[in-house]
Amino acid sequence: MSRKSFMAGKQSAQTPWGRTGLHFFLGLTSFLMVAPFIWVFLTSFKRSADIVTETPQLLPAVWTLENYLKLPKVAPFVRFFLNSILVSGVSTVFIALGSAACGYVFAKYRFRGKDFLFFLVISTILIPLQTYIVPLYLLTWKLGWINSYQGLIFPLIIMSSGIFFLRQNIMSIPDELIDAARVDGASEWKVFRSVILPLSLSPIAAISIVNWVYTWSLFIWPLIVANSAEMFTMELGLMYFQREYAVDYGGIMAACVITLLPVLAVFLAFRTRIIEGVAFTGMKY
Amino acid sequence: MSRVAVGVGGRLTRSQIGFLWSIVMPVIALFIIIRVIPILVVLLMSFTNYNLNRPLVRLLPYQNFIRLFNDPNFVTAFINSTEFVLVAVPLEIFLGLAFAIYLNRKVRFESLYETLYFLPYIVPMVPSAVIWKWIYAPGTYGLANYLLDQMGFPRVGWMSTPQISLLAVIGIHVWKQLGFFVIVFLVGLKNVPSDFREAAVVDGATPWQVTRRVDIPLLKPVILFGVVMATIWAWSAFTEVYIMSQGTDISTGAEIQVLVTRIYAEGFLYFNMGYASAISFVLFIVSLIFVALQFRVFKVESA
Repeated sequence: MSRKSFMAGKQSAQTPWGRTGLHFFLGLTSFLMVAPFIWVFLTSFKRSADIVTETPQLLPAVWTLENYLKLPKVAPFVRFFLNSILVSGVSTVFIALGSAACGYVFAKYRFRGKDFLFFLVISTILIPLQTYIVPLYLLTWKLGWINSYQGLIFPLIIMSSGIFFLRQNIMSIPDELIDAARVDGASEWKVFRSVILPLSLSPIAAISIVNWVYTWSLFIWPLIVANSAEMFTMELGLMYFQREYAVDYGGIMAACVITLLPVLAVFLAFRTRIIEGVAFTGMKY
Repeated sequence: MSRVAVGVGGRLTRSQIGFLWSIVMPVIALFIIIRVIPILVVLLMSFTNYNLNRPLVRLLPYQNFIRLFNDPNFVTAFINSTEFVLVAVPLEIFLGLAFAIYLNRKVRFESLYETLYFLPYIVPMVPSAVIWKWIYAPGTYGLANYLLDQMGFPRVGWMSTPQISLLAVIGIHVWKQLGFFVIVFLVGLKNVPSDFREAAVVDGATPWQVTRRVDIPLLKPVILFGVVMATIWAWSAFTEVYIMSQGTDISTGAEIQVLVTRIYAEGFLYFNMGYASAISFVLFIVSLIFVALQFRVFKVESA
């Protein structure tokens, strides 16, 4: 440990009491933040008779998979799950490539109007989809894309903060590397593929993961564009399911767990990247 | 071509122009089609009576906005959204700062705590809201009332008393977004040069004084960013309100509506696109005013 960080550490609570109090505070609050998920996870393995009782039990009396096994029978949850994978996957491929290419051009090209185009891309970064959802819906309707995959996906294939993030990263790639490739007669595509992409893998990964999580979670757009069950995403399927089977708490909680689980797995696998990406992008478009 | 190696500073080569037009310009065109034009169109549409079921579109220079004031649904939604912002934003900023400051005190398991705080933010809103709705369920079905019972407090009509229902939804929103602010403020705190803290400690400052006199003033730009994001998200809250007002176990659907649920209802249940655009216009303007005000306040304070 460097002297510097040791010194900085000294300002924190030095007494054992202060330390214990700090851990108690952090431990309790962080536990409360995730307690609802623990509760739901445990509940999803209970028999329905054990769920709604006078005194709720933390652990299932009997562990059972019945809540999960019945889900595909009451609603096409497999289809919902695959739809969600498709929508978030296609969106992420577009965003990874588009952000890298635009980031490269905005970082390294010089031409008239570049600043204006960059402004155009960045200016909408803070305006949420909710404000312009009506014209976006009308556009989708005019294109005949209501209740189709194209309609579900096309507003999700651009991301202002992704371009901004990649531009910041590509700016730090030395011009000499790019020029060296050009002297060797490489086309711009070749430069992009063999110099820019390999050197930007980490920021591209951060953007892709954050975007994947975001599109997996999106609700309002699928809600207005998808209007038949075969187009539903997990979020939408879950919403209709909890509305229709309002008393089937076991089934609802199992469906919640299935919707949460992919994001949880991705989050725990790529924790640092996601936190870095979110702190930068705010995870909204 | 004679000069292949045109440097980054020179004119664009044919190959560069090709790259620009084949991939970058299409992406920018998409930005214009998907973002810029809809944003402009929503502003224009708010002055029309456009309805999907009506072929004739008329220009209404002010009627939509007069109608807003006389529309009890809109007035309720506007008041609720205002309360949403006024309650959620200070809570998120204050709690986010508190957790970040404590996490920054070189505690063990810091990354574990960080992960747990952040988890609700990263997971989808629909299952989270469904889970909370069950916790808020009436009688002793819901965990919230069961715990109140156990602690000897009276039960609360989480989903039958409008004022409480709205606060319950705001609670979901704050719980969900809090992790973002913890992370953003923590990153900001880590960027505060430790020399500043050392100097204060050498001068005999207590941890609380270091926080107040060193960390918070240096964190101001990050706090401003946090306040802006929190405000925009609070004005545009939708999913948690929508989920909470669904179904038969709730008796406060109309009372807890907010601006975006009104946009949804007018636009996509009744197809009054013009009127829905007018509500979007209001949403756009109020967020803008709030964000501008925040820049003002922070500028005055740091001047």
